[in-house]
Amino acid sequence: MNPGTLLLASAASFVASIVAGNRYARAWLTLTLTGVFAGLSAALIVLLGTTDWEWRSTLIVGGQLVFLRLDGLSALFLVLVSVVGGAGAVYAHEYWSEDDYPTSAPRGRMWWSGLVLSMGLVLTIVNGLHFLIAWESFAICAYFLITLDRQRRAVRAAGWLYLAASHAGTVALFAFFASLAARTGSWELGPLRDHASLAPLFWLALFGFGVKAGVFPLHFWLPDAHANAPSHVSAVMSAVAIKMGIYGIVRFSGWLPMPAAAGWVVIALGATSALLGIAFAFAQDDVKRLLAYCSVENVGVIMIGLGGAMLAAAHGHASWGLLALSGALLHVWNHGAFKALLFFGAGSVLHATGTRTMSRLGGLWRTMPWTTGMFAIGAVAVSGLPPLNGFVSEWLVYLGLLDAVVSKGPAAWAAMPAIIMLAMAGALALASFTKAGALIFLGSPRTQAAAAAHESGRWMRLPMLTLAALCIALALVPVLFWPAVARAVNAWDTSWPPAAVPNSLTSIGRTQVALALAAVAATFLLLHKVRTNGLRRGLTWDCAYAAPTAHMQYSSGSFAGIVVGWFAWILRPQGIVRRPRGLLPLKAFRIGHNPETVLELVIGPVSRVIVQASRTASRLQHGNLQAYILYVIAALVALGSVAWLAGTP
Amino acid sequence: MNDLVRLLLHVAWWLLLAPLLPGIINRVKSWVAGRRGPPILQLYFDLARLWKKSVVMSTLASPAFIAGPAVAWVAVVGAAMLVPLGPAGALLHFRGDVLLMLYLLALARFATAWAAMETGSAFEGMGAAREVSYAILAEAAMVAAMLSLSIETGTVSLTTMLAPSAGAGAVLLAAGLFTVLLAENCRVPFDDPNTHLELTMIHEVMVLDHSGPPLAVILHGASVKLLLFSVLLVQAVLPMGELSPTAAPGVLLVGVFTVAVGVGLVESFLARFSFRRVPLLLTTAFLLCIFAVLVAWKGGAA
Repeated sequence: MNPGTLLLASAASFVASIVAGNRYARAWLTLTLTGVFAGLSAALIVLLGTTDWEWRSTLIVGGQLVFLRLDGLSALFLVLVSVVGGAGAVYAHEYWSEDDYPTSAPRGRMWWSGLVLSMGLVLTIVNGLHFLIAWESFAICAYFLITLDRQRRAVRAAGWLYLAASHAGTVALFAFFASLAARTGSWELGPLRDHASLAPLFWLALFGFGVKAGVFPLHFWLPDAHANAPSHVSAVMSAVAIKMGIYGIVRFSGWLPMPAAAGWVVIALGATSALLGIAFAFAQDDVKRLLAYCSVENVGVIMIGLGGAMLAAAHGHASWGLLALSGALLHVWNHGAFKALLFFGAGSVLHATGTRTMSRLGGLWRTMPWTTGMFAIGAVAVSGLPPLNGFVSEWLVYLGLLDAVVSKGPAAWAAMPAIIMLAMAGALALASFTKAGALIFLGSPRTQAAAAAHESGRWMRLPMLTLAALCIALALVPVLFWPAVARAVNAWDTSWPPAAVPNSLTSIGRTQVALALAAVAATFLLLHKVRTNGLRRGLTWDCAYAAPTAHMQYSSGSFAGIVVGWFAWILRPQGIVRRPRGLLPLKAFRIGHNPETVLELVIGPVSRVIVQASRTASRLQHGNLQAYILYVIAALVALGSVAWLAGTP
Repeated sequence: MNDLVRLLLHVAWWLLLAPLLPGIINRVKSWVAGRRGPPILQLYFDLARLWKKSVVMSTLASPAFIAGPAVAWVAVVGAAMLVPLGPAGALLHFRGDVLLMLYLLALARFATAWAAMETGSAFEGMGAAREVSYAILAEAAMVAAMLSLSIETGTVSLTTMLAPSAGAGAVLLAAGLFTVLLAENCRVPFDDPNTHLELTMIHEVMVLDHSGPPLAVILHGASVKLLLFSVLLVQAVLPMGELSPTAAPGVLLVGVFTVAVGVGLVESFLARFSFRRVPLLLTTAFLLCIFAVLVAWKGGAA
C-alpha cells in the first residue's frame, strides 16, 4: 500500500481518537492502535523500500503550502513513535483507568493521541513554519500529560519547569527557522549543504533541540518532569519525546553545512552527558528519577555516535563515521524499547506499592514475578550488556570510534576520551541498575506497602512483554534491523552509500544467540543439579546474627556512597545527620538529598536574581497617575533630546 | 575434524588448567611464609567436593540466586573463548571482539552482584556496592590498555592486537594490566581472599551465602577469570603471535606461571590496602595505561 494512504489513515484515526477519547475508552484504544499500526506500516514501507514519500498539497496553512515528506531518517523515528505510542496506550488502559482517575483519564487519552499525532507531524513536516507549529503543539500536549495528576504540588512544579525549559528551547528554534527562512528566502526545508553562510545557525539548532533532548547541562528540567509524570507518560517522554530533540539535531546536522567545531562540540557534549548523566542516576533514591537521569546518559551515547559521524564527514573518512552513526541511530530504537520497558516496570511497582522510593521497597519478586523479570531484562539491556540489545548499538558506536583511533587522524583525539568515558558510563550504568533492581525486587520488603504488593494486570503486562520481546529481537538478530538503519544513515549523508551488513555485526548476532542459549542452558542445568543434590532453606548468613530485620539491608545511599564521594564535586550531596548520642541512644538518622545541581545551584540562583530585579523594577508601577504622567513627560523629553542631538550636525 | 580438535584444546586449556592457578599462588605464599601449604591441586578437590554437596539457600532468595552464578560462569568462559592462545588463535574472532570480551566480564559482574543482593544481607550489599564501584575505574584502565594495543597494532581484534609485543609501552602496560588483574580478581592489596572478616572483603563477601554446586561454579569461574587476565597480560607484553607453534605453548605456560608466582609474591609481601586507597591505586593503573596509549601513539608516528 502507498505510505501516503496509510499516513492519512493514521492521522484520521488519531483525530477520531481525540474525539472519542473523552467518552469511550475502548473505542479510543482501538482507534489509537489502528493509527499506530497504519503509521508503523507507512514508516516500514519507506524504511525497507528505496523511495521517499512526498506530498506537496495545495492546502495553505499560515500562508505556506503544506509539504510533507517521509524519508529514511524520519521513518526511523516514526517507527519508534508508533511502537511506544501504541504500547503506552495499552498500558494506560489499565494504569490510568477511569476507575482510578475518573476526571483525568479522559483528558489523558485525548492528550495522548494529540501527542502522538503531533510527534508524527514533527517528523513528516518539511516547512519551517509548520514545523514550529507542530513542535509547539507537541510540547503543549506533553505538558498536559505530565500534569495529569495536577492535584499534587510536585507535579505542577515539574510541569511548569518543563514548559519553561521547553519554551527556552523553542525561542532558539524560532530564531533558527526564521533566520534560515530569511537567508534562503523560503520556509521550505531540505538539504542546504552548499550554503556555507548558514553554518553558524547550527548552534541555535543545537541549543533548541538540545534542551528537548536533555543533553547535559540542558537536562535540568528532565528528571523532575519524567519522575513526576504518570509512568506511561514518563515512558513516552523518555523513550520518544527526547528523541524528537535528537531527530532535530541529526536532521539539521545532515542538511546544513557544519561549523568546523560542530563535531567536536557534539561528541564532547555526548561524552559529558553520558558520564555525568549516569553518575547522577546512580545517586538517586527515586527509581523514576534514576531512569530519567539514565536517559541523559543514553542521549549522550547517541550524541557521541553522531559527533563521531560529523567528524568523519568533516575529515572525509566515511567508513568509521558510518559505523558510529548506525550505532547512534540503532541506539535510538534500543533506548526507546528498553527505557519504555523500564518505565512501565517502575509504573507497575508504583501502581502496586504507591511509592517510587527504592529504599522503601524490596522483595517484590515474590509478589510481582512478571514485573521483576521484565525489569531485569530492561536492566541488562540498559547496562549495555550482552546478550541484549543495548550492547549491539553501543558496540557499533565503540567500533566506529576505535576505527577512528586506529586511523590516527585528528578525530582520534576526540574518539579516545569518548571511548574511555563511554566505558566508565557503561560500568556506572551497570552499578545503577544493579542497585535499582536489587533494592526494588530483591531481599525482603522494607515497608508494609512493599510486602502487600500485587502483580499488575494483563493490560500492563502485555506492553511490557512486547517491548521485552523487541529488546530480545534487536539483540539476537541485529542483522535484520540493519537495512533500516543503513537507509537512515544514507538519508543523513547521501554520499555514504547504503552499506552492506558488516561481517562483524553478523558475528555479534550469532555470538549473542549462542550466549543467550548457553546462559539459559547453564541456568537450567545448575538448577537441576541443585534440585537433585537437595536444597534446604535457611536464614541469610548475617555474620551469624540471628535476627536480621529488613531495615538492616543495604540502602540506596549506602550502595551508591563510594561513587557519590568520587562525584561529589558535581553531585553536591546534602545530608542531615543525627549521630547516636549517649549510652542508650534512642534516635539517630541520616537524611540524604541529591540535588539537581544545574537546576538548584545554577538556574535557581540566576532566576532568583532576575526575579529580584523585576520586583525592584516593579516599584515603578504603583498606580499613581501623577507619577505616570511624569514618566511620559520624562520619556518625551528624553526622546526629544535624542532627536534634537541626532538632528544637529 | 580439525575444528573439533581446536575446540577441545581451547576448552581444555581454559576449563581444566584454570583451577591450577590459585593452587600455585597459595603454594608460593606458603613457601614464602615457611609453611607446607595446601596441595597445588586443592581447588580441584574443593570443586569436586562442592559439586556433590547439597545446597542451603536463603529464605529470601529467588531462583536467580542460582541463575546468577550460572550466567556469570557462561559470561567468563565466553570471554575466554575470545582470547587468543598464541599462534593457536582464538576460538572466535571478529572486528571489535575486544569490546565483547570486556562487556562479557561486565555481565559476569552484574550476574554475581545480582545474586549477592538476593540474600538481603547488608554484607553482601556492601560487597556488591564495592565491586560495582571499583569496577568503574578498573574498566577505564582496561579500555585504555586495549586502546594502546589497538593503536600499537592498528587493529581492533584481540587476535591481531595481542600477536606482536606491546612495543615501547610494554612496561607501562604490564604494570597497569597487572594492577587491574589484582583488582578484578580480588587479590591483595585490593581484597583478601583469605580473610574471615566480612567487613573487609569485596568479592568473597558477595558469595558468602552460596554453597554446593553454585559455589563450585563461582570458584571455577573466578579461576578462569584469573587465567584470562594472566593470558592477556602475557600476550600483551610478549610477541606471542610471532613465535613458532611449538615454542608458543611453552612460553605461554611459563608466562602464566610467572604471573601466578608474581601474584603470590605480592600477596606475601603486601598487606591489604585500606579502602580509601583502592581508588588511588586503580587510578594509578589507569594513568599507566593512558601513558601506554600515548607511548603507542608516539611510537607509531615515529
